Amino acid sequence: MATSAWATLSSRAPGARVPRSTADQPPPAADPAGVRNALVLGPRDRLIGELHIDGDVRLGGTVEGQIVATGDVEIDDEAKVNASLAGRDVNIRGHVSGSVTARKRLVVAKSGSLTGDVRVARLVIQDGATFSGNVSMGPAPERVAKPPEPEPIAAGDGEKRSTDGQATPPEAKGTMPEANVAPPQVKVTPPELKSRPSEVKGKPAEGKGKQPEGKGSKPKR
Amino acid sequence: MDVQEAVSQSTPIGAADEHGEAKRDGLRKFTMGPNDSLEGKLSYDGHVNVDGRAEGEFRVTGNIDVAPGAKVKAYLEASNVTIRGEVEGALNARDKLILGKNAKLSGDIHVRRLQIEDGASLNGHVRMGDVEQQGSGG
Repeated sequence: MATSAWATLSSRAPGARVPRSTADQPPPAADPAGVRNALVLGPRDRLIGELHIDGDVRLGGTVEGQIVATGDVEIDDEAKVNASLAGRDVNIRGHVSGSVTARKRLVVAKSGSLTGDVRVARLVIQDGATFSGNVSMGPAPERVAKPPEPEPIAAGDGEKRSTDGQATPPEAKGTMPEANVAPPQVKVTPPELKSRPSEVKGKPAEGKGKQPEGKGSKPKR
Repeated sequence: MDVQEAVSQSTPIGAADEHGEAKRDGLRKFTMGPNDSLEGKLSYDGHVNVDGRAEGEFRVTGNIDVAPGAKVKAYLEASNVTIRGEVEGALNARDKLILGKNAKLSGDIHVRRLQIEDGASLNGHVRMGDVEQQGSGG
């Protein structure tokens, strides 16, 4: 029996097996021996801009912009972060305003405060922490694995952005000509909730005047 | 013609102890067992323990506890809310919301304090701050 297996393997693409075995090895960046890249910003340091780092980040000062790390992101107590964060484990003990993506786990400690939308696999919020924003958890679509890239301003994006009010570019409306008034994708309202009176108040952003029929009637006559 | 008098079947009020009502810290407590179910609106001056199935709208002056295995599809409003089961719906906690490690909550929440244990799952919008009865209008 073993000989037949050999025959099959060797007759089919003999060269393909060699690179495959090396590809199985972990990349050097994931080496757990402490050789991993790490950036530490103290309380008096400041970073404004965009940082993509293959490793861990620990922030203690003022940060504005965007931080994307393949490793863990830690925000110290005195830190003031006005940036979107992405990492594997994200640990917040300071002040963060911006969206957070944690491929593994987000922890907001009791001294931490977070304002922004959150996309995580696991979430821990300790008593005393402050948090406001949207939370999506659970089996993540591929979107999480990809590094966040600057997305074009889409018409359908407006309803999501407007909930936090800070990320909406002011000229977002002007870029939309009177042409294709394609209806935005189906709104994700849980069907069971439509009878709750509180639901109306919870989402004031939806009444933002996106009425396709008002626009469609204008060029007709 | 088939109208039956439910009165004849109702149990005496004093006998309801382990399920039904019991008093604790001055407030009444209403406990639903794992086989109980409730659909509709409930305004209750006291605590509510939910095991089993519940649907509708619950406004409670005390606390709401959702037991592991319980399934709730409802708007919840209470002082403290502790969730260890599954809840779907908006939630308003005047004081604190605790999501236990096996809790599943999907819905928008407005709470004063929030504690989420590792393993809990939450989907929805979170707003923190003092909760007035229904939030402000504008």
